[in-house]
Amino acid sequence: MTIETTHMMMLANTAAGPGWAGFILWFPLISLALCGLWSILRIKSKLPAWTTVGCLALAFLTTVALYVSYSEPVVIHLFDWFNLHWGSGAKAGSFVANFSLYVDSLTLLWMLFVTGLGTLIALYASEYMEPDVGKGYTRFFAGVSVFLFAMSCLVMGDNLVLLYLGWEGVGFASYWLIGYYYTKPSAVAAAKKAFIMNRIGDLGLALAIWFIWLNFGTVEFADLFAVIASGAYHTEAGGWSISAIPFLLMLGAFGKSAQIPLYVWLPDAMEGPTPVSALIHAATMVTAGVYLLCRMFPVMQLHELALPTVAWIGTSTAILSATIALAQYDIKRIMAYSTVSQLGFMFAGVGVMTTAGAAYHVFTHAFFKAVLFLTCGAIMHGFAGQLDLRKLSGIMRLRGWKVVSVTMLIGCLCLAGFPLTSGYFSKDMILAQAFTSGHSAVGWLLLFTAGLTAYYTFRVWFRVCIGPVHFEPGDEDHGDDHGHDDHGHGDHGHGDGKFHPHAPKWAVNFVLIAITVGAILAAIPYFMPSGEEGVKGGWVASMTLDSSARDGMYGVYAIEEKGKLFGADPYNAMYFVSAAFGLVGILIAWWLHLANRKAADALRAKLLANPLTRWLPTAMENKWYVDEIYHVFVRAPLWVIGHAFALIDRLFVDGLLVNGTGYLPRAVGRMFQPLQNGVLQSYAVLMAGGFALVVVLIVLVMPWLQPILADWMAGTGGAG
Amino acid sequence: MIEKLWFLIPEIILFIGVCVVSIMGLSHHRTWRSAVPGATIVFLIAAALATPFLYTPEKMEAAELLMPRVGWYFKVIVGFVSVLLALMCIGLIDRRYEAEVKAGRASFDPMRVNRGEFFIFFLLSVMGVNLICSANDLIWLFLALELVSLPTYVMVAMSRPSRKAQEAAVKYFFLGAMATGVFLYGFALLYGSTGTIVLTEMRDVFAAQVAEEGGVNLLGIVGMIVSLLGVAYKIAAAPMHFYVADVYEGAASAVSAFLAFVPKAAGFLGMILLLGTMGWAGHAGEGSTGLPMPIVTTLWMIAAITMTLGNVGALLQTSVKRMLAYSSVAHSGYMVIGLIAGPGLGINGVLFYLTAYGIMNTAAFAVLAGLERKKAEIETVDDLAGLRFKHPSMAIVMAISAASLLGVPPLLGFMGKLYIFVGGVETGHIPLVIIAGLNSAISAGYYLYLIGLPILSQPSPQAETITTGEARWPRLAGVIGAVLIIVLPVFTNYLYDATERSTEGYLDEQARQIGATDADEPDEPPDPALATRE
Repeated sequence: MTIETTHMMMLANTAAGPGWAGFILWFPLISLALCGLWSILRIKSKLPAWTTVGCLALAFLTTVALYVSYSEPVVIHLFDWFNLHWGSGAKAGSFVANFSLYVDSLTLLWMLFVTGLGTLIALYASEYMEPDVGKGYTRFFAGVSVFLFAMSCLVMGDNLVLLYLGWEGVGFASYWLIGYYYTKPSAVAAAKKAFIMNRIGDLGLALAIWFIWLNFGTVEFADLFAVIASGAYHTEAGGWSISAIPFLLMLGAFGKSAQIPLYVWLPDAMEGPTPVSALIHAATMVTAGVYLLCRMFPVMQLHELALPTVAWIGTSTAILSATIALAQYDIKRIMAYSTVSQLGFMFAGVGVMTTAGAAYHVFTHAFFKAVLFLTCGAIMHGFAGQLDLRKLSGIMRLRGWKVVSVTMLIGCLCLAGFPLTSGYFSKDMILAQAFTSGHSAVGWLLLFTAGLTAYYTFRVWFRVCIGPVHFEPGDEDHGDDHGHDDHGHGDHGHGDGKFHPHAPKWAVNFVLIAITVGAILAAIPYFMPSGEEGVKGGWVASMTLDSSARDGMYGVYAIEEKGKLFGADPYNAMYFVSAAFGLVGILIAWWLHLANRKAADALRAKLLANPLTRWLPTAMENKWYVDEIYHVFVRAPLWVIGHAFALIDRLFVDGLLVNGTGYLPRAVGRMFQPLQNGVLQSYAVLMAGGFALVVVLIVLVMPWLQPILADWMAGTGGAG
Repeated sequence: MIEKLWFLIPEIILFIGVCVVSIMGLSHHRTWRSAVPGATIVFLIAAALATPFLYTPEKMEAAELLMPRVGWYFKVIVGFVSVLLALMCIGLIDRRYEAEVKAGRASFDPMRVNRGEFFIFFLLSVMGVNLICSANDLIWLFLALELVSLPTYVMVAMSRPSRKAQEAAVKYFFLGAMATGVFLYGFALLYGSTGTIVLTEMRDVFAAQVAEEGGVNLLGIVGMIVSLLGVAYKIAAAPMHFYVADVYEGAASAVSAFLAFVPKAAGFLGMILLLGTMGWAGHAGEGSTGLPMPIVTTLWMIAAITMTLGNVGALLQTSVKRMLAYSSVAHSGYMVIGLIAGPGLGINGVLFYLTAYGIMNTAAFAVLAGLERKKAEIETVDDLAGLRFKHPSMAIVMAISAASLLGVPPLLGFMGKLYIFVGGVETGHIPLVIIAGLNSAISAGYYLYLIGLPILSQPSPQAETITTGEARWPRLAGVIGAVLIIVLPVFTNYLYDATERSTEGYLDEQARQIGATDADEPDEPPDPALATRE
């Protein structure tokens, strides 16, 4: 209890921080206001994009300044928000949730990549969304500003209420931007699906906040950690409602970060414009769940089964979505499933108590997955919406596509965990910790998944970027009615051989190179000193160490002896083991999808031909029928219940009870309605009558009634 | 006397406004006449902005008033909400006549223009509310309350050229006169009971009565109850609420919004002052710190009946104006809970709620005032159906204000209810708060309708013909109101602190009295809620 407790007490005694840090929040808000102004002024230029990029860059610079001046956890009070106090003595209660920021190194880590990537991706979008200038352009950038503001609230808030506000805010921004092409039914359906799935998770988070407030009497992080560190809450009963907290928090995190059972919205969310997929649905928003668990790590340890549950859910999600990604043909969808899978890795990391590993993987993943999405977007943009990897090949040899192909290769290497890339180090931390903390089953499953990841990642790259040159333009294109990321390629005919792909211009190339450099450099923090003996993970680990996620470095569950892998420290052994898995995956992909492309189709045909194995490719291509299962077991029953209620409503409520808003209130209303007859005299009589009644009551009846009422009111707590 | 004049400077500014506006309204030049609303707004803002400079701590310290600081909050808030209300009134009066003059079909005749007069009455009524803040005797209070009401009778009649408006005005006037008689009678009884008309002296007399006789004498209690019932007319509470639906429906929407805020604010402030003479500090008998039991019971019944009748009444309406009228009744019921709860969360909650209600109710009425069909205001719920398709901003304003009136969490209305309900629970009136909660649930029946109808429904055939009004200002008022509903909750703590500071002196007096009359528990803080807030 020593080091953790003193550390947490230190977190609780936070000093006041610099007020200018609030500008990290205000800049996106200013950008939103300006976008609103541009929309009122009907600006038809790229001004909204430059406004947003500028404001986000300023927010990033503010974050950097905050990082440079950072020395210890601080609370930055911006202004009072909720500040309710009541009762006195033992009955005293309060509900305090001010508009304040809680800045520790975990906050800074997250904000650095959120604002940094946000700026770069907004710059990318300024070119990507060009065909919409004057139409949805302002709406898009307003949505991005809302997102950045909400995400900053989520990460920087000093209490759970502000976090929840941000949580809902990013959900709203995500809904807004997925449904950007609102004339397209599939985009609208995807937006709705994301919204509903997230609501389920949000219910969990809301309940968790409520229970935390009930049991610990505060929702402010600093106070909360102090209460938990002191252990004083154990005396105040609570029981099941305390044990429920970590599981409810988990549910919230699963919804936002697309884990089983709430993951199905994320692949569909790719209906939004690609920069949105990169920013919100790969790099930042979906990591909010991991952030929540890291931030609330002391709370997650209130029940001993909570973290193992997180580990297993994460592992299952990782492996399930990796198998789905194996069999998809839409490259953006493969990246989407891969995101779900990588998020599973992060959750498994939190579950096996390496918050540093999870945070590091979030950090590296944010870069390399952004690269991958943005390259997919560039390809889609250039090939008129074509995303099918069977219809694209060897684009590296086309003029102007070098940058895209090379950056994609680097992204793929990181994702596949190729030795010495950033993804390799971050993934290894999670894998090694799984063995160290004795979850070797989790470790082996994740290793296997890492092999699958390497395979499906390079399946995309070998198919699309190299090999013989061959491409077909996308089929869903032209005009707003279809909407899908195709941008006025009306001059290109279909299949007439005259299709010329648009190579990306400077903004896209610049952003791709910048983020790729980031993805490569993200390996460096691993070698920076962590400031503590025997702790792997370098700079990121030190950032995570300094925060509420610290306990994860040691673990509250007694681990008698460190687990071994092949007789060695897993952290050392993993360098070779995971590299081997990754290389095998890449080699298989090379064999099936570059050297011998026929073999892949032959293999699939063979599997399909054999009745015993036919189910495997079919099920994987159909995403294990999860959507269908949900349809049958969740949507259909709800539909039936809904219609049953509607029927009951119509038969009984409408039939018997007039219109369904409740019979009694209306009946009472009708009873009094004749009084409201519009005749002046009768109103006067009623008023006088009411007046007389009250006076009679007070003068004649009250003397008898008073003792009784006094008793009754005393029974309910006194009369005021 | 000179100190009193100092606090009256905002009223004097408004009175200068009255003179200026009345002259402008009679000008031969159309530009001058059309500048009347603008001038009104300028004077309203000037009065509101002057207030914080006038209410300096030393001056408030020296003032011989029951609530020396309340004007500091009230005059500013009433001033700014009145700006929204004045925006709604632009283009309302003399529209047809001015159009004729402009087209050259009629020549200008000073006898036929009403615009100046309308805005004079507007300013006078607001001035009445401001005067109540400085009231320290029953005569002043009576005159100020009447100054609030009398202009509104005329405003209703003038507000639109239809017989309905005139009928409404007549009803409002006669019933109002009756209510005035009632509370004047109550004031007389209070004088009979205490032998003084000065509120601060009255407080000391009541305290002495409790100390000597163990309770306030019956005459005083009846006097207080009769006064409260009379003032209940201003706040549209049962049993004096019968006029509300007819009058609000008959008046133009802008004036209905005015009636729902200005007299209500005046009435609540008057009630707070009256109840303050009996205080929440030890007049109910041994060991208690509340109002006398009969008064609590009366207020309890008024609260319960008012909110229930308001909400069930609103359920049956097909006219949006009548719906909002009943909703105004219901909201008064909620606020009476705050009166019962007393200093601290209760009274501060009422002051907060008045602001919140003023803004959200004005926004809702602004939608009705800003749209028209065949040159007439829209009224029925069918008119609102599918508003989103033709007038998206108004549809959103309607949805936001209805959601706020319902008390949907992050919005302004929720914050108001939160303070009042917590105040009620705090002082042990749990059954009443439960009734209020049930009423909120009932009110969802019609507020959800107002939220859903403009956004989700398809437009009805008659909704197709709706156009925006000639003046864009009422719509602007709606949009400002909606923005405030969303933005103010973020600053709710500042607003609440302001209400708290404005009731400070009031509370100190209560504490002093407890020390004097209740020697048993001298250390007990007067209100736990406030005692714990530093």
